[in-house]
Amino acid sequence: MASSVSLKIEFGGGLELLFANQSSHKLTLPKFVPISNSTSLSSLSSSNLKDTDTESATSDDAAIPDGLKRVDVTYLLHHLRDHLLKERPELFMDKETVRPGILVLINDTDWELEGEGEYELKSGDELVFISTLHGG
Amino acid sequence: MTSCGNPAAEIDALMTRRPKFDHSKECVKCKGRVGNIVIRHVVYCRECFLPLVNTKFRKILQPSIKEKLDGPRQKSLKASGNLTMGLSGGLGSTVLMDLVAKNYFRSSGPEDNKGGKDHPRKLNEKVWKAGYVCYVEVSDAFPGMRDSTADIRAIVESYNVFEFVPLKLEDAFDPSWWDRVDLLLCDIPSSNFSTPLDRLRAYLSAMPTQTALLSSVQALIRLLLLYSARSTQSSHLLLGTSLTSLSINLISGIAQGGGFAVREEVDEEWHTGTEMTIRVIRPLRDLTMKECTAWAWWNHLTVVGETPIPSAKQGIGSLTKDFIVGLETDYPSTVSTIARTCSKLAPKDKATGVCALCQRPTQFRAQQWKSQISILSYSNSKESTDRISLAPSLCYACHTSLTGRNSRSVNRSVKSHDDITSDVPIPLPVWVQSHASMQSNSRGSGTSLIDDASTDIMKVRKMNREEMKEQIGSYLLDDDL
Repeated sequence: MASSVSLKIEFGGGLELLFANQSSHKLTLPKFVPISNSTSLSSLSSSNLKDTDTESATSDDAAIPDGLKRVDVTYLLHHLRDHLLKERPELFMDKETVRPGILVLINDTDWELEGEGEYELKSGDELVFISTLHGG
Repeated sequence: MTSCGNPAAEIDALMTRRPKFDHSKECVKCKGRVGNIVIRHVVYCRECFLPLVNTKFRKILQPSIKEKLDGPRQKSLKASGNLTMGLSGGLGSTVLMDLVAKNYFRSSGPEDNKGGKDHPRKLNEKVWKAGYVCYVEVSDAFPGMRDSTADIRAIVESYNVFEFVPLKLEDAFDPSWWDRVDLLLCDIPSSNFSTPLDRLRAYLSAMPTQTALLSSVQALIRLLLLYSARSTQSSHLLLGTSLTSLSINLISGIAQGGGFAVREEVDEEWHTGTEMTIRVIRPLRDLTMKECTAWAWWNHLTVVGETPIPSAKQGIGSLTKDFIVGLETDYPSTVSTIARTCSKLAPKDKATGVCALCQRPTQFRAQQWKSQISILSYSNSKESTDRISLAPSLCYACHTSLTGRNSRSVNRSVKSHDDITSDVPIPLPVWVQSHASMQSNSRGSGTSLIDDASTDIMKVRKMNREEMKEQIGSYLLDDDL
């Protein structure tokens, strides 16, 4: 069982300008991440460690280690903001979610149908972030 | 669940998140496929969503193409002139151009021979003889902005059915552009500013507030589009205003004093001065920004995007936009309520004319009403009596824009040339200049943005003690008491 999830991320509608003008990104995230959504290197490595430990002995439905959760869209947002975003984070995130005016598609489906930030990511998921505010 | 806990502390425990959609995840139209998008709490699959957008677009546009129907059944759809579209490079106008191209300017293909002569596909062909796409570049007016004309041109030409008409914001101050749009050029007063760009910059820098600056840019773009539509013999001017943008424009327009022209914000007829009337239509006014975004994404449209004008963040328009976009995320139905409520509004009085600046209807005695609610002093106001007044020709919104609380620059032009030689009159757009010069031909010479003889003027001067005592004398208690 893999201990990480591979994702394809795309930005559109001008949002790519915040991400070094690169619209398509491939990303690998640990399967379990801190509940606090902290994306610092120490949190990541500890979560990976715990993840690897549990993964070898348990199945996908294994108990989630303390202080961790399955990687979800909210964590992905924090990761994108902290590691990929090049400028003006306020144009991407507002509090714990995306800024109003950004449409998120998970596997070509509106994220509002998938539980928004609580959607648990799976390997191979494709997420698209499109700004609706790029002019009128 | 606790019934009398501390709601502030236990809010997450007590309240479950309300789903953004009603009922199930199935598409409400086909009831078979799993939905792909939620529009105002309703779920649609991608296959049903795309035709729905098309239907909403045509439902707005179709009835306004022809003034009178032939009979109970409309056999063919023919507009009385050409079509002009305003393209900003933003989302709405890009979607608009795509929908117009797919519905009314399709390149002929092998399917064209199928179907009878009354087939809907053939009825919609050649509704307009020609289609023009106008783009107004504003980058020269503001430092640090990039010229996107080449990108826009590439997108327009990729459809291969439209003619591209590039414009610049400074054209509004360019007599040669005025000539090109086939109008009778009136005598325009000579200006100290050499180029149209200088005149534009001087005009914009004279705006008293950021809000006035942005609304002036919007008004200039709108008029450039209207005059271009007239020059291309167009009967229709289409704008890519979505429901979200419309709600923003309505709220922000009313906040800036444009309530009298609230109907024009939705649907407008512009009388060109000739026999032709141009209908300004916003065919996307039933589509939210989210619907436009999904259409653009699923149709692989390239959105160049509008570069925001620097220093525009604190204007009323920008703040309204933030508010409405946030509202749309949490309460998507409320945004359409704004538009629907505004569509029920009508001005109490009939319009008495057309504003010289924005060419929208003007209210009867708007300036007089304004002067009545302002603190005025007419003493020592004899200056510049030989100058014509533009104020009575302005609508309430334009007048309010030009006379902000900190009207630092507008005041400059009020002073006479003779009084202060270093002061130069602020240049005006060519259509206003021609209006002003027509007035000056009959009354004299010179132009001012705001005349002080007939409208509100606020003067601050230091009163001497005797004068002050005289003013408040009746309220003072006698010393003997």
